[in-house]
Amino acid sequence: MVDLSGREIVEACRAGDRDAFRALYDLYKDRVYSISLHFFHGDAAAAGDVTQQVFLKLMTSIRQYRGDAEFSTWLYRLVVNACMDAARSRKAEPAISDPSRMDTLTARGSQEEDYARAQMANSVRAAVSALPPKFRMAVLLRYFDDLSYEQMARALHCSMGTVASRLSRGHKMLAERLKGLGGTKD
Amino acid sequence: MTRRFTRHISRQLAAYLDGQLTQPRAQRAEIHLRQCAHCRAEYEQVRLGMQRVEHLPLVEAPDAIWLSVEAALEARPASQTQSLVRWRWAVAATVILALAGAAYWRISQPAGAQWEVLRLAGSPSVAGERIGGTGRVGAGEWIETDASSRATVRVGAIGSVEISPDTRLRVVTAQPGEHRLALARGEIRAKISAPPKLFFVDTAAGTAVDLGCEYALSTDEHGLGLLSVTKGWVLFQWQGIESLVPAGASCRTRPQAGPGIPYFEDAPESLKQAVENFGFEKAGGGLGAILSESRVRDTLTLWHLLSRVEGADRERVFDRMAALTPVPAGVSRELALKLDPQTLEHWREELAWTW
Repeated sequence: MVDLSGREIVEACRAGDRDAFRALYDLYKDRVYSISLHFFHGDAAAAGDVTQQVFLKLMTSIRQYRGDAEFSTWLYRLVVNACMDAARSRKAEPAISDPSRMDTLTARGSQEEDYARAQMANSVRAAVSALPPKFRMAVLLRYFDDLSYEQMARALHCSMGTVASRLSRGHKMLAERLKGLGGTKD
Repeated sequence: MTRRFTRHISRQLAAYLDGQLTQPRAQRAEIHLRQCAHCRAEYEQVRLGMQRVEHLPLVEAPDAIWLSVEAALEARPASQTQSLVRWRWAVAATVILALAGAAYWRISQPAGAQWEVLRLAGSPSVAGERIGGTGRVGAGEWIETDASSRATVRVGAIGSVEISPDTRLRVVTAQPGEHRLALARGEIRAKISAPPKLFFVDTAAGTAVDLGCEYALSTDEHGLGLLSVTKGWVLFQWQGIESLVPAGASCRTRPQAGPGIPYFEDAPESLKQAVENFGFEKAGGGLGAILSESRVRDTLTLWHLLSRVEGADRERVFDRMAALTPVPAGVSRELALKLDPQTLEHWREELAWTW
């Protein structure tokens, strides 16, 4: 979510401040990339393409952003659209998570993590990856940014009730797929 | 079991857990949970699912992406034909960055009354004058290519249009709030990066409205043509008839008929053939083939068909859609068959996840 400094950055971007573009990118890049990465089953190339598309679109059209909607809602709407577009063009590809991609992801931080945590992370990624796209996107949006259901509804272009329903069903599916795993149940 | 228990709160559980329900609804949910074992079990599952998701790592975006964004922005005005720089080639793009300096700021300036035209091959002309390298075109002026020439026009600050051979194109409006071309004949390939409804292309069969996209549009003088979208969405409209065409789909256009019914390029050939015939002949003969050949993804075609057939045919289309994919909550058969705009829009939004 954009805090006061975030809003100032957006305003500076609208005014054409080049450094502000970089600051805006830094503020959101990891969240946009992570959502895309987990949406595309750990495919770093696809996530990079989507992230590029989103920020390119954002930077070329931010002058038209009138501030009548929250910036993060607009940004995540772009993310949703870009992911759906990319998924549409990749329709022929199997929508199953690729274990080798997941392993590559794990490798980054796994040296300092214990084996069980890494295994859990892999299982969760695979389970998220296996969710139907509309549930997967809702779960990822909720997790990677502190959006209200109203903001998510705008980003996903659906009602708040639909957001609630997708999140309920999506998380339930996750729990079912991961029921064999241990872990806290606090 | 009391009547209250028949109204489970499965759909609200995430909102309850996230504190997104209003206080009265949250209180009702709490009371229901105390008394309903089924919903309590589901509540635990949703809660557990939310806990599990917290194991997903936030992954740092590779530095190359920023370089590619800058490079792509700076490359746009240099050559309208250049494809978007792929982020994974961004290492090479750093060289472009070093050379391009602050070129980005040129494209973020408001569009003037004239757009730049670049010759790609042969001898394209602007306002009747052949251009050697680059030229300028303003509202009311024509760009023409012959059989051996091609050109690109930079559309203000929002993108570019490549003009194929044997094409005649006029700039209608060249303002920041409206970028409008008229394609008299030939073919164009548009790459637009802007909010929806800033870029329009008129043809004899109607108007292509950009919704943030890349597409190819061809037509003859009478409006017989084809729209093929490669990225984003395009809305093609004519006298109240609208076709919404997403990436990977195409749509025929015909004189005095406007846009046909969109279909995905990877649809079965028999379906595509039936759609092309059905869309304009309106004889209804091809409907059976469309329905029997359609896949889940072809609900794009079926959704458009709903409003272009009547009576029993519309019911057949609805039933086929319902058989292919569950009708979402909020879409009733009755309202869908009455073509209630809100119902159809909601259904389209749900279906779009399968397109």
